[in-house]
Amino acid sequence: MEFDRERIQIGLPRLSLHDIKKSFGAVCALEGVSFDVQAAHIHALVGENGAGKSTLVKVITGLEQPDTGHVRLDGVPCRFRTPMEARAAGVTAVYQDPKLFPHLDVAENIFMGIYPTSRFGMVDRRAMYAEAERLLTELGMPLDPRSLIAGFSVAELQFVEIVRAISTEVKVLILDEPTAALTPSEADRLFQIVRQLREGGTSIILISHRLEEITEMADTVTVLRDGSHITTQPASSLSEEGIVQLMVGRSLQTFFARADKDTSKVQEERLRVENLCQQGVFENVSFEVHAGEIVGMAGLVGAGRSEIAQTLFGITPPTAGRVVLNGQEVTVKNPHQMLGLGMAYLPEDRDGQGLVTALSITTNITLPVVSDLARLGMLQPQRENALAQQMATDLEIKAGSLEQAVASLSGGNRQKTAFAKWLATKPSVLILDEPTHGIDVGTKVQVHRIITQLAEQGLSVLLISSDLPEILAMSDRILVISEGLQVAEFSRHEATQENIMFAASNISKAHKL
Amino acid sequence: MSTTTANGAVRSQTGGRNLANLALRLRVTGVLVFLILLCIFFSLTTSTFFQAQNARIIAFNAAILVIAACAEAIVVLTRNLDLSIGATMGLAGYVTADFAARNPGIGPELVILALVLGALLGLVNGLLVSYGKLPSIIATLGTMSVYRGITYIYARGQQVTATQLPPWMLKGVDAMVFGIPSLVLVAVFTVALVAFFLHYAPLGRTIYAVGSNPAAGHFYGLRTDRIVLFAYVFCGTLAGLAGFLYAARVGTVTVILASGWEMTALAAVVIGGVSILGGSGNIVGVAIGALVLATIDNGLVLMGMPEFWRMFIQGTAIVLAVTVDSLIEGRIQAIFKGKRRLGQQQ
Repeated sequence: MEFDRERIQIGLPRLSLHDIKKSFGAVCALEGVSFDVQAAHIHALVGENGAGKSTLVKVITGLEQPDTGHVRLDGVPCRFRTPMEARAAGVTAVYQDPKLFPHLDVAENIFMGIYPTSRFGMVDRRAMYAEAERLLTELGMPLDPRSLIAGFSVAELQFVEIVRAISTEVKVLILDEPTAALTPSEADRLFQIVRQLREGGTSIILISHRLEEITEMADTVTVLRDGSHITTQPASSLSEEGIVQLMVGRSLQTFFARADKDTSKVQEERLRVENLCQQGVFENVSFEVHAGEIVGMAGLVGAGRSEIAQTLFGITPPTAGRVVLNGQEVTVKNPHQMLGLGMAYLPEDRDGQGLVTALSITTNITLPVVSDLARLGMLQPQRENALAQQMATDLEIKAGSLEQAVASLSGGNRQKTAFAKWLATKPSVLILDEPTHGIDVGTKVQVHRIITQLAEQGLSVLLISSDLPEILAMSDRILVISEGLQVAEFSRHEATQENIMFAASNISKAHKL
Repeated sequence: MSTTTANGAVRSQTGGRNLANLALRLRVTGVLVFLILLCIFFSLTTSTFFQAQNARIIAFNAAILVIAACAEAIVVLTRNLDLSIGATMGLAGYVTADFAARNPGIGPELVILALVLGALLGLVNGLLVSYGKLPSIIATLGTMSVYRGITYIYARGQQVTATQLPPWMLKGVDAMVFGIPSLVLVAVFTVALVAFFLHYAPLGRTIYAVGSNPAAGHFYGLRTDRIVLFAYVFCGTLAGLAGFLYAARVGTVTVILASGWEMTALAAVVIGGVSILGGSGNIVGVAIGALVLATIDNGLVLMGMPEFWRMFIQGTAIVLAVTVDSLIEGRIQAIFKGKRRLGQQQ
């Protein structure tokens, strides 16, 4: 690729982003992001969960259209409407979850839509397999082009995606968390290939949470935070600590300062978890939650926190481990059983898993306790209404009427309805999974106040959140989960954004031991 | 502060890989083995089964079902269903037969009418599913009634008798070419055509792709809607052909022509190894699936077993085939949902 060398000399950026803005409703995902990606560079894109990395990738590859701003490829303005257009121009993304066809073989996955054809426009299968073989050999991947990809490991699937990406000329290859599910040796292999592609002139945008990967691999690092571009610097000028500081650098907004609890009194233990395992998902998680305590669970998206919660609640019963709830050893079987024992779980996807959005607020709130409210198997509307009314008042649910469908409520009020639903079961342990995700700041404060009040009334809360300031402000203790392992525990006083982030990202060092 | 470190590498799991891979490959072989076992069983239990004449009867009886099953398979591969296939056969078959009765002396170009009618009915199904975004099971359940209803309205309580049909139609389906029933030749030709199309035409490959992972299809820039629409039109056209042949075969064409065939065709498809969840299977397997059903029919008659056994076995075979599919699919989806799979700590 002669012209690539030329460009490097001229210094014209391969990909140039200028003032990209993108909002989803009231939520601003990208607030004017601008930076350049040089040709034949490995350009790392880092940031916390929700910093805007994924949205940016979608904008670059044409899955989302920016509200304002533009993208230039080799100096030419371009606006891709679909991933196929981006691909035709040489911009391709490889995602962490494979976007492939499991029932088809390797070669077909590489060439689907761009088949080599022979006479009469038929697929030239022989040429297809030969070409696939050649590409696989070139990258040193021992995969049989005729093998169906069903049952491949994530690493192998990613390799297939990369081969697909390079089967046509690729100028910019975006790798979204490529090593998240790889073993160290697979990751090394991947990086060999990435370097090989860089030698060939391809620019690689590498999104990764693993800091040592970035300092080891990247030529340039761009940090995003809360949808804003923080910095773009040569990787050599940044240390791992420096990157973490830039990622979490926001000042701790004291939007809700929870008073320090009097820790001298040891409250009774409500939930005790010992060596909880879910084979293939997480291992040896142990902690306890006392009455009136809020225990935070921090970690990166995909670390296994929701899975731990869902295992405790019986959605996917554990494969090993001990759970003691209210002093009683429990064999976790299903959510119905756990609800009966006083545990409630507020899922992250509250619309999909937490609420029946087409039904009224009253119906949603009384759903889990409907059999308690019934007499002789018949519903008692006045009891239902009374309970719903009381819950709505307690939690300040704002709605025209409680008969209103949940779908018509704002995100915050939906969240409160979901709260009310589980509080109606009078739980002793409440698990909250990202309770303020996607709701506005004002409602967030209210939700925080509700959680605190509940804890003061003696409820034990396990709070899963990716919002570090939130978890720092709310929790009495903080557990850090990384890649299915419990890697650290901090008390309220020890915890800082930096040390949580370090614990959450640095697990891969342990891997390499 | 206490920090727990991993005691060793947490490795991604590749277990189950060979299982899913092998299972997909072996589905068709499995049906063939099942057919052979069936034949051995009937040969041992009846004296008349294992004869060249009986093999010809089975092939003759299976021929139209093979065509209908090929049609159904094209749609099932896209992760959709066509429950209206029997009604499509009925409407196309009846209208074509009626047209022939009103136009004595019409030649074999009559078949074009059946094909066009079938294609139009398939087009309606396809539009409802791909552009109307209706779940295919509901859309085609609806058109099943609609098409059958149109047949009733069109027929006004009449039927077309064998004497009204052109003689070439009746003779043609019973004709033998080199000792092979002509229907069987048409079926073999259809299987070859559809199999070639699905294996070698780029459009045929995208039918598999759409059924395998529609979300990925979007990232690959496949025009999913058009592909699904095409599958329905192709299916309808073949159903029109099957309806025409069936009308010719039964001679007396009534409004209930081919009713219930949607289930038989679907049974042949799933028994033949096409995953009801789309994306996997092949047409030769489907043809074998149709042969399995015809063989069971034939064998049970020879054994003197009552009719309901056929339904019992057909139903059981569907449930078994679909269970196998779901098990295989579960394995595949575990990784494809993007769930990380960690191995045991070492």
